[in-house]
Amino acid sequence: MTALPVRVAGLSFRVRPRGVAVTLAGLAVLVLLMALNMRLGNISMSLGSVVTGVLDPASPDHFVVMELRLPRALAGALVGAALALSGAITQSVARNPLASPEILGVTTGASVAVVAGIVAAGNVYGGVSGLLSTLGVPALALLGGLTGAALVYALAWRRGLDGYRLVLVGIGVAAVFTNVKFWLLTIGDVDDTGRAMVWISGSLNARGWEHVTPVALALAVLVPATLLGARSLDALRFGDDTVTALGVRMNAARALMILAAVLLAAVATAAAGPIAFVALAAPQIALRLARTGRPPLLSSAVVGAVLTAGSDLLARTAFSPVELPVGVVTAVLGAPYLIHLIWRART
Amino acid sequence: MRLQAAKVRLGYGERVVVDGLDLGIEAGTVTAIIGPNGCGKSTLLRALGRLLKPMGGEVLLDGKRIDRLPTREVAKVLGVLPQAPTAPEGLTVADLVARGRHPHQTWYRQWSSGDEEAVAAALEMTGLADLAERPLDELSGGQRQRAWISMALAQGTDLLLLDEPTTFLDLAHQVEVLELVRHLHRAAGRTVVMVLHDLNLAARYADTLVAMRAGRVAAAGAPREVLTEELMGEVFELDAKVIEDPVAGTPLVVPIRPRPARQEGDRPDQRA
Repeated sequence: MTALPVRVAGLSFRVRPRGVAVTLAGLAVLVLLMALNMRLGNISMSLGSVVTGVLDPASPDHFVVMELRLPRALAGALVGAALALSGAITQSVARNPLASPEILGVTTGASVAVVAGIVAAGNVYGGVSGLLSTLGVPALALLGGLTGAALVYALAWRRGLDGYRLVLVGIGVAAVFTNVKFWLLTIGDVDDTGRAMVWISGSLNARGWEHVTPVALALAVLVPATLLGARSLDALRFGDDTVTALGVRMNAARALMILAAVLLAAVATAAAGPIAFVALAAPQIALRLARTGRPPLLSSAVVGAVLTAGSDLLARTAFSPVELPVGVVTAVLGAPYLIHLIWRART
Repeated sequence: MRLQAAKVRLGYGERVVVDGLDLGIEAGTVTAIIGPNGCGKSTLLRALGRLLKPMGGEVLLDGKRIDRLPTREVAKVLGVLPQAPTAPEGLTVADLVARGRHPHQTWYRQWSSGDEEAVAAALEMTGLADLAERPLDELSGGQRQRAWISMALAQGTDLLLLDEPTTFLDLAHQVEVLELVRHLHRAAGRTVVMVLHDLNLAARYADTLVAMRAGRVAAAGAPREVLTEELMGEVFELDAKVIEDPVAGTPLVVPIRPRPARQEGDRPDQRA
């Protein structure tokens, strides 16, 4: 048996030991990566100084640990988890392993809005500092992401939400957005486009608490909400007639799950830019590790966090003092591992 | 009357397949809907199972409009097996059948002992207990169809709608599936409505036949009253002899030749 029944009082669940093991092992790796992320950098420090840096405000390491490294490490893990969860939901609803928030118009919409903002504002934006520069770009990204998603949603809706139509419309809209983005990059000032390029690669550089908090809040609400909807995700994998026959309000269930996926991806993209590949690969990696039928929600989130945190560690330290955008590393790190898992399953 | 279609108008998009049809299904009966291809029999079954919303008229379940009942409450009394259903890749028989418990579960009660017992009983009744851990794709056509019926059984409804449950099966497997249906009816008094292509098997396993042509009910009643040589000509455009089935005593249709094809314009009621 792959699933064990657990019954306490009136409650009853089916627990897959393998899924639990993957989630716990993933969390252990995540803690390890976070600890390394806190220790390494321009100033390497021992684990002891990291701990005193966190606990003792008078410690000389307090600023580096609490204001630079911890928020950045947390932002990486949380953004990765949100993107992966969004991907797991999208892939389940669309019944397509290639579906990702990119298909939903979120990441490409955010990219167009941010690039347009940076190019249009130009020196004004570059000259602005403080609150506006830290909040302006995330706000633009959030707005662009939600607008892009609304557009895809509206175009794909025809007496209901169909997985194939969603994917096809999403690919079309993404292509248009991507070309608008490139057009904006070609007409922009060189300095502006340079800054825009860093953002659209996905970067965790200089992420502070103001970036961590929105993602943490979104996850706090949407993780329990999507876990409640996990049962309808299982039912939605069947043909449309079977879904209705089982008593699922198909269009409502699909629309709500996609809405959750859009919000997760939009908030994550606002915090760190469109980090490539996490939403696509993490759910598929988790599915293969946990050996489930559809991408498991919690395991996917943990794998996404590990992938992003590990990639950021590499992005910061591998070519020090030069830092790579994290989005460049996630694909380099995630793709070979996913291909390895698929390859191993073949034999 | 368990299930009733009142003046239903059914179709897809602009195309109307069934118009102004009335049909009542009595409790505890086995009804087979028969008719030539495109006559609207699957469309009617989908509407009875609230898989298709009527463009006009209404479908009543136990006297209440089915589209106004919560779909989950409907799923507790009415099971529908769609035509050629699709399952996710790699799904095992046990997982498929367990999914039938969906309407009875909530987020905090996902796998009660009641669920477990219903699934075990459904597997037992369809003779699939030994194949429970096998992936669905590895089963034969007949076994797979039994697995889907098993899922509908686990749903625990006393009303079952089956859309062509015997399609793509060889004769032995068709009989096997229909024997199962008969058993479900006799052992538990379930009400069954199914769309069937084979007239002789329909006559043998159903106690009511509904013959449809071009979106209308051409005849309804006991097999002996419905399956006549006149009806074969009228509904199926087939010259046939109807004799007594030497095994079951029900009518047996022996085809002679198709009626000479009429001009398209001569078919006053051909819409589908």
